[in-house]
Amino acid sequence: MKNVTFTLNGKVVTSAVEDHELLLDALRERFALKSVKEACSIGECGACTVLIDDEPHYSCLTLATKVEGHDVKTLEYLGDIDRLHPLQESFIRHGAVQCGYCTPGMLLVAYSLLCKNRNPTEDQIREALSGNLCRCTGYIQIVEAIKDAAPVFQSEG
Amino acid sequence: MLPRFSSLKAKTKKEAVTALAEGEEVTLVAGGTDLLVRMKRGESHHHLIDITSIEELQGVVAEGSRIRIGAATTHSRVSTDPLIRESARSLGEAASGIGSPQIRNMGTIGGNLANASPCAESIAPLLVHDALLTIESAEGERVEALAQFITAPYRTTLTGREMLSLIRIERLEGYREGYRRVAKRAAWAVSRLGIAWAIKEAEDRFLDVRLAVGSCTPRPFRPRSAEALLNGRRREKWLVEEAVKLCLEEIRQISGERPSFIYKLPVIRDLLRTILGGG
Repeated sequence: MKNVTFTLNGKVVTSAVEDHELLLDALRERFALKSVKEACSIGECGACTVLIDDEPHYSCLTLATKVEGHDVKTLEYLGDIDRLHPLQESFIRHGAVQCGYCTPGMLLVAYSLLCKNRNPTEDQIREALSGNLCRCTGYIQIVEAIKDAAPVFQSEG
Repeated sequence: MLPRFSSLKAKTKKEAVTALAEGEEVTLVAGGTDLLVRMKRGESHHHLIDITSIEELQGVVAEGSRIRIGAATTHSRVSTDPLIRESARSLGEAASGIGSPQIRNMGTIGGNLANASPCAESIAPLLVHDALLTIESAEGERVEALAQFITAPYRTTLTGREMLSLIRIERLEGYREGYRRVAKRAAWAVSRLGIAWAIKEAEDRFLDVRLAVGSCTPRPFRPRSAEALLNGRRREKWLVEEAVKLCLEEIRQISGERPSFIYKLPVIRDLLRTILGGG
């Protein structure tokens, strides 16, 4: 076991983790952040995406010890059931959520993109989403939801 | 879930090579995008050393006529670095096509080389730039050309006690340069074919032609006979055709006939014709 200290959703946390423990399992089991989903487990589907230093990473292929001293954000950072982030509201409005399993990863990738690029083209949105699979919606609604939410990030200055 | 293993996050190169020298069955891990997938499939490693926090292995810097790329520099960094975009465009383009955004944020250029897949995207452009690798161990360091470093698919000259620490490439100024890959999809696909090129020309004459073909032969390679034929000659259709023929012959010599050659060779022929500007 090793102690890992890092910033998780804006708060500095410390936890003991196993040497062989994946960030995915640490976030779900030690911090009860169940938005982090496991699907393919081999870094192909993007359901386990979290932001490390604001960039998307696959938590299923990241050792928990690796985030020592870094900043980690999960979907819980964006909003909760009583106070959804405008990006989450846009996903609902556009019908960009069906089974919902890919949604946390999609939202984090979109959030990361819009923080860096407040007026992305459709190609840039699609490129940003290219590491996340959705087998329900066919992506069109997701792309539109992200486009529609972009003004919120612009007005945040 | 992964099988149990012990892991150490090295902070310095010295710490990593000392652990390699003193431990038994020690494996280095950088981005983990290949190694952890193999371990989930049952490959066993007992002691992992994570080298991604080693500051000395990070970043891209100019060094005279060369560029130094730390082995643990991510594909994202390589694909967006201004120096690489300016003087090693083929490498930037190849790195920007690897896996997915997440994979590029995690995977490293050194990992791509040490893994030595025949379809590793970074190999062909690095061959074009005559990459020299620095390999370190507790005993010291050695420098080896990339062309010698990879000995067979997924095999390199690295011993269990060594670490790839640095990639040095030639800056190519005044060349037209690029990378084209053919894959099943635009995103998230392993390339079936990749060609890197850097060509210096003046008044329709080839001055220095550098080509490298990846994902075709067991190791990506430079078609030297085709390059030699072109260098110093005026660009003409017959010459380009002759060079393309030499390149395809070299592929056949290396690999023998392969079922995939029915489509691969015509694609290489057409790409080379376009790249060399002969039609």
